[in-house]
Amino acid sequence: MQPLANITPIKPAGAIEVRNVGQIFKTTSQDVVALENVSLDVKPGRFVVLVGPSGCGKSTLLMMMAGLRQQTSGTITISGAPIPQPDPNRVGVVFQEASLFPWLTAEENVEFPLALRGVSKADRRAKAQDALQLVGLDGFGKRHPHELSGGMKQRVSIARGLVQDPPVLLMDEPFAALDEQTRMTMGDELLRIWAATGKTVVFVTHSLTEAVYLADEVIVMSPRPGRIVDHLQVSLPRPRTYEMLSGDAFGSLRDRIWRHIRKSA
Amino acid sequence: MKAATLRRSIVIALIALWEILPRAGLIPELFLPSLSSTLLAGWNEAGEFGHALAVTLYEVAVSMAFACGGGILLGAVVGSLPRPRILIMPMVSSLYAVPLVILYPVFTVWLGIGSESKIAFASIYGFLPTMLATAAGIQTIDPQLLLAARSMGATLSQRLVRVIIPAAIPTVLSGLRVGGALVIVGVVVSEMLISSAGIGYLISRYRTILDSPHVFAGVLLVLAMAMAFNAAIKWIERKASIWQTGTRGGQSTADDIAAGALRPAT
Repeated sequence: MQPLANITPIKPAGAIEVRNVGQIFKTTSQDVVALENVSLDVKPGRFVVLVGPSGCGKSTLLMMMAGLRQQTSGTITISGAPIPQPDPNRVGVVFQEASLFPWLTAEENVEFPLALRGVSKADRRAKAQDALQLVGLDGFGKRHPHELSGGMKQRVSIARGLVQDPPVLLMDEPFAALDEQTRMTMGDELLRIWAATGKTVVFVTHSLTEAVYLADEVIVMSPRPGRIVDHLQVSLPRPRTYEMLSGDAFGSLRDRIWRHIRKSA
Repeated sequence: MKAATLRRSIVIALIALWEILPRAGLIPELFLPSLSSTLLAGWNEAGEFGHALAVTLYEVAVSMAFACGGGILLGAVVGSLPRPRILIMPMVSSLYAVPLVILYPVFTVWLGIGSESKIAFASIYGFLPTMLATAAGIQTIDPQLLLAARSMGATLSQRLVRVIIPAAIPTVLSGLRVGGALVIVGVVVSEMLISSAGIGYLISRYRTILDSPHVFAGVLLVLAMAMAFNAAIKWIERKASIWQTGTRGGQSTADDIAAGALRPAT
């Protein structure tokens, strides 16, 4: 085990705190304010979805939570400590479909973050097996990404994000490239995995239906400059079912998000 | 009939025709000596051909090292840094359209008619496609892969070794295939033009005395060399880029590049 002295959690593991965060992109002609004064608290174990039109900075915010980009102002803490660079022990990230390494097998892809840290082959294999089992891909470890369907690839990505057992999972439009049916199935799968692991999940999407279906809380953002315009609690019971999609509660939540987005788009 | 069998039968038929047509007197031996007299000519002068082959192989090997080493190195720099790319790429691309063989007389003035001028010419000749392919291979790496690696805590050197290099291998290999073939062309052509040794020199010398069997013996040797090179590249491709086989577009694109997209004016 590595010494944890310098990152001793003050907050419970998995809490995310975003305080007055701003992001300015400097271009040669002008400065673009991508995010302005964004504050947000995510409690451990919650499923939070960020929605908003293109350019509202939701992906930028997610990248900053992952330590892949630094904010211009304000602070972000994950499990009580700032995240100046990516830390796969605290945060796992799942991207869009294309982010599996095509020259590695599913198993090797899942092992990748462990291999970077010099974990022994046997340990790596065992952990990858567990992660693949968790996402329902038992027995597919030896396949290369091109031998897997879009949904299966995304399961591998999720397994890779979870293999080091971080308390937080960040997902950047992970199902955007999937067809409608696969997308629905993967949503249910993700909820099952989330329930089984108790991770904090922050999920970025364009789809309002997906947002309401998955989330405990939906954060609605608007562009130019990117900021939070609404924060909805989704009190639909769990497990979520397909029938809820046509219910009044679901519809009124989706309408409320849509009204915000229509205004800003 | 399967394509492979068909291909094999065509080759066998051509070889048979090579023997039969001149023997039957349908083609003068001056134009096309029969296969057996070609082989016999080569066998009788085995010492001379062997020496020439050694010279040519040496020149090819050294040029290959320069062309591939330099091409991969500079291609990697140009592919990964935008500023050199803007400076160098347009120059290299337009240079590629120039029939470089016009430069060869200049090289012989600078370096003499020994191996040096051949190596210089063939190195530059093979360098260009290797460099262009390497630069393209690195430039076209999916940025999502690098971002994903970074999110997993990969350091710069880990990203280089574990992501950039494996991702670039298929494109680089297709560049090597073209570059290496051009190295062989460059060496043999320059030997034929101005030289005192090598297979190209022998071919050209026997041609001036109208000794067709010996000319064709030299041609056979060059053919064998090119085929051996091709087989070697194929073997490396199989070993190194298994992952390409599955991407339906990938392999055919690489073949397209090898087949002609990157062919320069000779």
